[in-house]
Order: sequence, then C-alpha cells, then structure tokens
Amino acid sequence: MDTHAAYKSRWLPWVLLLPSFVILLVFLYYPTIETFVLSLFQVAFLGLSKSFVGLENYKILFTDPDYRQIFKNTVVFAFFVVIFSMAVGLALSVLANQRVTGWRIYRLLLIWPYALSPAVAGVIFLFMFNPQSGIVNYLLEISLGVAPDWLTNPTLAMALLVFVAVWKNVGYNVVFYIAGLQNLPGEVLEAALIDGATPWQRFWRVTFPLLSPMTFFLLIINTIYAFFEAFPFVDLLTKGGPSNATNILIFNIYRDGFEYYKTGMAAAQSVILFIAVVFLTILQFRLGEGRVHYGG
Amino acid sequence: MKRLVTVIGLSALLGFAFAAEKVQITFWHAFGGGRTAFIQRAVEDFNYTHPGIEVKVEYKGSYRDTLNAAILAAKQGNAPHIVQIFEVGSQLAIDSGIFVPIQDFVPAGLEFQLDDYIKPVANYYRIGGKFNSIPWNSSNPILYYNKDIFKKAGLDPNNPPKTYNEVVQACEKIIASKAAPKCITWPLHSWFVEQWIAEQGALLANNENGRAARATDVYINSEAMKRIMKWWKGLYDKGYYAYTGKPEDWDGANQLFVSKQAAMEITSTSDVTFMQNASFENGFELGTGFLPTADGVERNGTVVGGASLWLTKGHPQKEQEAALTFLLWFTNTENMVRWHKGTGYFPVLNTSVKVLEWQHWFERNPAYRAAFDQLLQSKANRATQGALIGPFPEVRTIIENMIQEIFQGKDLAKALAEADAKADQALKRYNASVKK
Repeated sequence: MDTHAAYKSRWLPWVLLLPSFVILLVFLYYPTIETFVLSLFQVAFLGLSKSFVGLENYKILFTDPDYRQIFKNTVVFAFFVVIFSMAVGLALSVLANQRVTGWRIYRLLLIWPYALSPAVAGVIFLFMFNPQSGIVNYLLEISLGVAPDWLTNPTLAMALLVFVAVWKNVGYNVVFYIAGLQNLPGEVLEAALIDGATPWQRFWRVTFPLLSPMTFFLLIINTIYAFFEAFPFVDLLTKGGPSNATNILIFNIYRDGFEYYKTGMAAAQSVILFIAVVFLTILQFRLGEGRVHYGG
Repeated sequence: MKRLVTVIGLSALLGFAFAAEKVQITFWHAFGGGRTAFIQRAVEDFNYTHPGIEVKVEYKGSYRDTLNAAILAAKQGNAPHIVQIFEVGSQLAIDSGIFVPIQDFVPAGLEFQLDDYIKPVANYYRIGGKFNSIPWNSSNPILYYNKDIFKKAGLDPNNPPKTYNEVVQACEKIIASKAAPKCITWPLHSWFVEQWIAEQGALLANNENGRAARATDVYINSEAMKRIMKWWKGLYDKGYYAYTGKPEDWDGANQLFVSKQAAMEITSTSDVTFMQNASFENGFELGTGFLPTADGVERNGTVVGGASLWLTKGHPQKEQEAALTFLLWFTNTENMVRWHKGTGYFPVLNTSVKVLEWQHWFERNPAYRAAFDQLLQSKANRATQGALIGPFPEVRTIIENMIQEIFQGKDLAKALAEADAKADQALKRYNASVKK
C-alpha cells in the first residue's frame, strides 16, 4: 500500500509543515539556542553590551551559597507540590467519582480553582494569610488562640507557597483522574467485588494500577508545573523572602534577568532548569516503562 | 452623491496632511491608577495648547518594567522620546548609554527653569555637574500617626516621636494601654534604611557616595547601619513593629495603618493625599511628623526619592526639541503646583513653592507641611545627595534579605558583614560588565 497516496507531490507535505516549523523555529528553537549562548556571556542592560566569559556564570551558580540555597528551595518546593497535588487530586477524584446527590456540583467546585488566574489566586491568598488582618489568622485566633506569622517564618512561608501551588493545580489533576476513573473497565472491578475484596484492596490492587498511565502522565505535567509555573505565587506572596527562603529558580531567573539586568546569569539558570526538567522527564520514562500498565 | 464623496475624501486627505505635520512624541511612565488619568489630562492640555506637537502618553507598568521596556525599545531603534526612571536607576540609565544628558540640549531662554529646582532635588539629579534628566516626582519618608490612638494611649497628639528612643517609649505606652494591637509599621524596604543612613550623615558607598567617581565599595557594615538595625530588631522582638511578611509591601503597610491596626506608619510623602482621604473615610485624625532618627546623632536630612524624566538618544532634531518643550512645560511652575496638590509629591520648583505659600496652602493643609519642611531642612552634603550605585536594585534586595535574617535571630555583626560582602561582589560584577 502506498502511504503517500494522500499527497500528489513530494514537497506538498513540507509546505504544509512549514508554518509550524517557522513558528517553532522563531519562538522555540531560536530562543533556546540564544539562551545557551547568552549563558556564556556577561550581559549588561538586556543585551546592549556583552562579553564572553566562558563558564564563569556556571561557576558562580555552583559556588555561591545563595544560589545553592535557591536550588535547594526549588527541589523542596517541586517535590512537595508534585506529591501533594497528585495525592490530593487522586483522593478527591475517587470521592467525586461516586454518584452521590449533587455530584455535578462537587466536580464543578473541585475544578474551579484551576480556572482562576494564578495572579488572582496569589492576591487572594495574600489577603487571607495577612498576619494582622487576614481571615485565616482571625479564625485561628478565636478558635485556637494562635496567630502565626505566615510570611515571616521561613518554614511557614514555604509551606504556604506549596499549599497555594497545590490548591491551584489540584483541579487539573481531578479532571484527568475522573476521566481515568470513568474509563476503567467495569468488569475487572466487578470481578474483584465478587471475589470479596474490600474497598481498600479494590482501590490499591485494581483501580490504582489501572490508573497508572494517567498517573504517569500527570507526574510529568505536575513536575513541569512545579518548576515553571509557580512564579506568580512567589512574586505576589513572598518575593522570595524571608531572606531567600522561598526564592525558587523560576523566580530568581526573572529577578536576575529583569530586575538586576544580569541576563547572562539568568540564561545560565534557565539552562540548568531546562536540563533538570529534561533529565527528570527521561528518568520518569525510564522508571515508568516497566511499571505503567497500559491495559489491553 | 459623487460630490459628497469627493468632499469627504478631500477633507480626509487634508486632515491627514495636517495631522502628519504634527511632531509625534511618546512618553512612557510608571504611574498606575488615578495618576495615569492625572498625567493624561495634563498631556491633553499640552496637546491643545501646542498645535504643532502631539504627545502620546503610555503607562508601562512598574518603574522596572518601564526601564526594561525602554532599553529593549532602544535596542530595536524604536525608543520612546521620554522615559520616567526611578532615582536608583540613575547610574544604570547613564551607563546604558541610550539617553542624552538633558542639560546640554535645553533651548536658550529656558535654562532659567533648571536654576529653579529646590536645592535637595537639584543636588540629587545634578550628576557630574549637570542635569542628566528633568526631576519630576520627588518624595521623602515621613511619619504618619493616628492622633486618636495617641490620645487613647495618653500621648500628646501634637508631639509625635522624633527619635528612635522616643518611638520605643511611645510604643510602650500604646501597647500597654491596648490603644492599638501594633505600634508602628513601614514596608520592609531598603529605601528607609538608605534614608536613615543619610539622616546620620553617613555614606552608603565609597567615592563620596559614588558622586565623585564610580562607587567600588558599598558600606553596609557601618556604625550607622548598626544603630538602625538594633533599633528595628528591638521593635520587632517586642512586637511593636508589624509588617505583612512580604518585602517591599507598600500597600500592606498602608492597610495596617489605615485599618487602625498600627498607631504609626513611616512611608513616602507621596501618600499624603491618599492618607488624608483614607483617614477621613476610616474616621480618625491624621498627624504627620519628621522621620524619626537615631538618638545622639545630629539630624542631617533625607535623600530625595522618586523619579525623573529622561530623554532618549537618536531622534531627529525637530522631535528632540518638541520633547524638550513638552518636558519643560510638563514640569513648569503651574504644573508642579497641580501635581503636588493632586499627589503629595514635592513641588520641586522654588517658584511653585512660592505660589503654594501665597495661597496659604501649607497652613490650610498641615499634613503636607511636615513633608516639605523636612525636605527643606535637609543639609546639602554627599550623604543627602544619595548614593549612585549601578546595581542598586540588587543591593536593595541584599539589604532586605539581611533585615529578615536579623529578625530571625542571626547575629547582627555577622549579618552585616555578609551582606556587605555580597553587595561589594554585586558591585564588582556590575562595574566589570559596564567597563567593556
């Protein structure tokens, strides 16, 4: 069979692909290559002048204690965001998958936060967690008699950021997990039920393994989210404070690049972030291959 | 019908021809909210009274966003004519090389306006002997206080604290009498630290605050800094000082004060109008006083904060002249009076001050008085001239991180020494990058 039958001429498919290639080239490949190049330069004023410094920027990144702190923060933040948003997402999906009265409303409410703009979410949380006049401390004060300084304590500030990032992304995971749960083969669960498996066993032995392709997909998406999309929360809630305790890579790239005009340093950090995420994704594919069950 | 079309077509053509004769000037600034409208109205007045020039004004986001946008536009050969740049960006703006030193281009007959700037403002913006930009919005930090809370705490509502110790003493009374849950607030911002250093007559950088020659050493580890930090940390530890936890949170500090959670706030004079309105809405009597200073050190004065207007390079002669005409009009005596009344920013011209005095403005609006007296009483020296440091934005973050570390209990001497080393490092890297 001739698979090229759809196209009369050889070059037509290339012409049709051209617009996509141009867009990829201009908006993806060129900036990526440019970032790699810039990371080897000391750049002043957003590129008005630059000089080649080799790996100097990377040397600073790996030896400066402030940058090491930022790397550590990024790992801690990403780890907890991924774990919690997936675990909470799965738990809520299982609950919302039940046909109880008002299930449509529950589902809608669960997905809602995802539809909110991150900037709006950040501002709302800033108001809620204001130590003196926020609603959270007001309620804690009258019920438990405590009023924590959410943004002044390094651990609490990081915990709050993780919480906001998780809250914002759970809806996304719920959408996919509910879709996954709806498509589970009913006969397998039924067989398990007849065999006398408890709900707990049914979930961990049947449902969870059957959901593994979805879990795997979400793991990658959530990792990318945790590394790349937390910027507005940091910018609005803590500005990386108290004293760098919540400064994560994506925020610092912006800061070095656009507030301090250290474009070369920002580029070097982007390269590291890029490599880290590529590495994690490859790792997940390697580890996932044997464990993910695609059914059929 | 045909004739009608011809007439319309002709008049459209004519209109186009007339419009094309106008010199187009773009002006980028960083004022959002009510101030955008305020500036827009002034620009419309200008366009109406200057038929040959059409100024287009655009709000470009924060000070940093505006500067970034201007640099990028200049890189593409498409720079706006006039850009508002914050004071700590002055050295950076000069180093970037995309602006012209404005004083060299002021047309004959209008130089008098440059001699009209009040001294503290002229001192700040005259760099290397001449104005590189036209001073515009200028401010200082002052103390705002809630007179009702003062009365409740048994304090004299007409005598706000003037020194660090007096603040502590007032706080003791306010907290003990439960007149307010917190005593004092101000945004955790390096700007206040810079001001308190100048008040003590100390410098923030070598080479006379970077004014005699390019600064190569930042003075964070200084006696002046120690006095500030000891006092601030003391207030924090006793629960007198409150802030939202987020650095540079101006709105958060205002909210604490306006909602009567704190009895005092230190913030910019540019908020006088806002504070007067807010105190009226929230039903309390507002007082203003000088920025409290270190005990036992003579009050030296504050540094002018705010921003100035810069003219970019590489425009045709005609456009450059038009831009300058607008700049000098926009900051002339009448407009500075209007600007001051509408915002609280200083009237930066001596003649504007005279107009306001003639109108008995300061007597009728005492809240504006403290702000202005403080500025006029500032001594003119290198300390109050303010530091010129290339990587100032980064140095500010270093100082702010240091403050939070001290709050968390880090040893004062160690925190200062470390921040000092970091700032010097940042300055060294910056200087190396501009020399090439």
